[in-house]
Amino acid sequence: MAEVLLAAQGIEAGYGKVQVLWRAGLDVRAGETVVLLGANGAGKSTLLRVLVGLMPAWAGQVSLAGEDITALRTDRRVRRGMAYMSELGVFPGLSIDENIRIGGQFVPRAVLGPRMTELYETFPDLAGRKRALAGSLSGGQRKMLGIAKALAAGPRMLVMDEPSAGLSPLFVSQVIAVLGRFRQSGLALLIAEQNVAFLDLADRVFTMEGGRIGFAGTVEALHADDALHRAYFGLGGE
Amino acid sequence: MLVGALFAGLVFGLYFTLVGLGLNLVFGVMRIVNLAHGDFLMLGGFAAYGLFSAFGLPPLASALIVLVVFTLLGLPIYYLVVPRLLAARDSEMLSIILFFGMSQMIEAITTIAFGATERSLPGRLLGVGPVILLGQRLPSSWVYSAVVSAVAVVGVYLYLYRTRLGTLTRAVMVSRDEALATGIDVHRVSAIAFGIGIALAGIAGVFAPFMLGSVTPAIGAGINIAAFAVIVVGTLGNPLGTVLGGIIYGVSLMLMQTYLSSWANILPNLLLIAVLLIRPEGLLGRQVRRA
Repeated sequence: MAEVLLAAQGIEAGYGKVQVLWRAGLDVRAGETVVLLGANGAGKSTLLRVLVGLMPAWAGQVSLAGEDITALRTDRRVRRGMAYMSELGVFPGLSIDENIRIGGQFVPRAVLGPRMTELYETFPDLAGRKRALAGSLSGGQRKMLGIAKALAAGPRMLVMDEPSAGLSPLFVSQVIAVLGRFRQSGLALLIAEQNVAFLDLADRVFTMEGGRIGFAGTVEALHADDALHRAYFGLGGE
Repeated sequence: MLVGALFAGLVFGLYFTLVGLGLNLVFGVMRIVNLAHGDFLMLGGFAAYGLFSAFGLPPLASALIVLVVFTLLGLPIYYLVVPRLLAARDSEMLSIILFFGMSQMIEAITTIAFGATERSLPGRLLGVGPVILLGQRLPSSWVYSAVVSAVAVVGVYLYLYRTRLGTLTRAVMVSRDEALATGIDVHRVSAIAFGIGIALAGIAGVFAPFMLGSVTPAIGAGINIAAFAVIVVGTLGNPLGTVLGGIIYGVSLMLMQTYLSSWANILPNLLLIAVLLIRPEGLLGRQVRRA
């Protein structure tokens, strides 16, 4: 079994005095794709923000490749190979090229150049409009740029917050197809979603409700649980 | 007379661009209002006066010293004040209160240390005799100050659009949250921008005795109003929009002084009210506001 890359245990966090997360925990192994499934307000985004260092954990521990990173700032976590794609994902007022360069801010120039060439080959829609503002892109293209920006850092794992947000089903399937390609290249993915279409990518699933982790297991096990199946796929099944 | 006023307005416009540039850079990056901006300008003026009186240094040398010293001074001030402000719920309102207090302190300490008398520098330090541009005679000190202002504007442009740190600075201006999520060291970027912001004010202060006649410890408040008029016209948070705001302010000021001189002092307030009522997002609002 592959090494555990990211592990979070007993995470408690919130906003002001309002507690949102209650002893939440999950783990992602090297090269694995994990989907964190839950409805709006379940606490998925908050957990992700704690994992990437954008919010402090009131209690609990986050470790990356065995190193305790609970108190590390986000930039230090990025340097250690953990990239994060927020729901916004891009800087709308900057060009496509600038967005990707910022994603690779910690990468030596000699490495970033060839990596950007690869990324532009992967995302040909972006290659033809390098100087266009990210804000001028369609929703789907913005997501692609967000992915390219995050991957410019050359991460070992990519943490994504609702990549399907605001996208039509067609663009959602395009995003899933692109992520599938990177998954095959060995990139570990942690995707917080409420769209069950992303389960096609998942090796394992964690469900979240009321700030707590509920189910943890394989997609098959999720389907096998009648109550969970009804909750996430509806009465009629898939 | 009209052409002369327009020329003088352009020259003053470039200078007032420099006056507002640092304030707008700080607001654009940090979304806080530095009400002590005018007092840093005043300190630049006193530094130029002191360096000339003590060592005979010309204004350009003083400007270079002020650039370095004020940039370095900005770093500890930033780390002492701004991160705590930004962590607060209503950081923009708190920044107004805090920097107003800082402004009062700077003014009081300067008054105690140097007195309240006006300080001026001889115009010959920036050239003798008028400069004739397309038949219009302008004091050489005005033209010199305008050229320095233009160089500073170009310098800020090159910093923002041609350097890696500048790109990160614009990223923070676009979205502080996304910058944090991308792993940008937002405090480092902001501290440098804050240092540059007060250094620009300081450089404007070095040339204030030539453009405004003299400096006193109390000029900060008036400078702030002019600077606000410039950046609100040019668009809050868009440093390069300051150029447009500065030129409009400078030309309007000179036209008022030429044709309605007794009303000229209320120009900053008139411009502020007019823009806030008619186009509150500024003349360049929306199109380029956050980068």
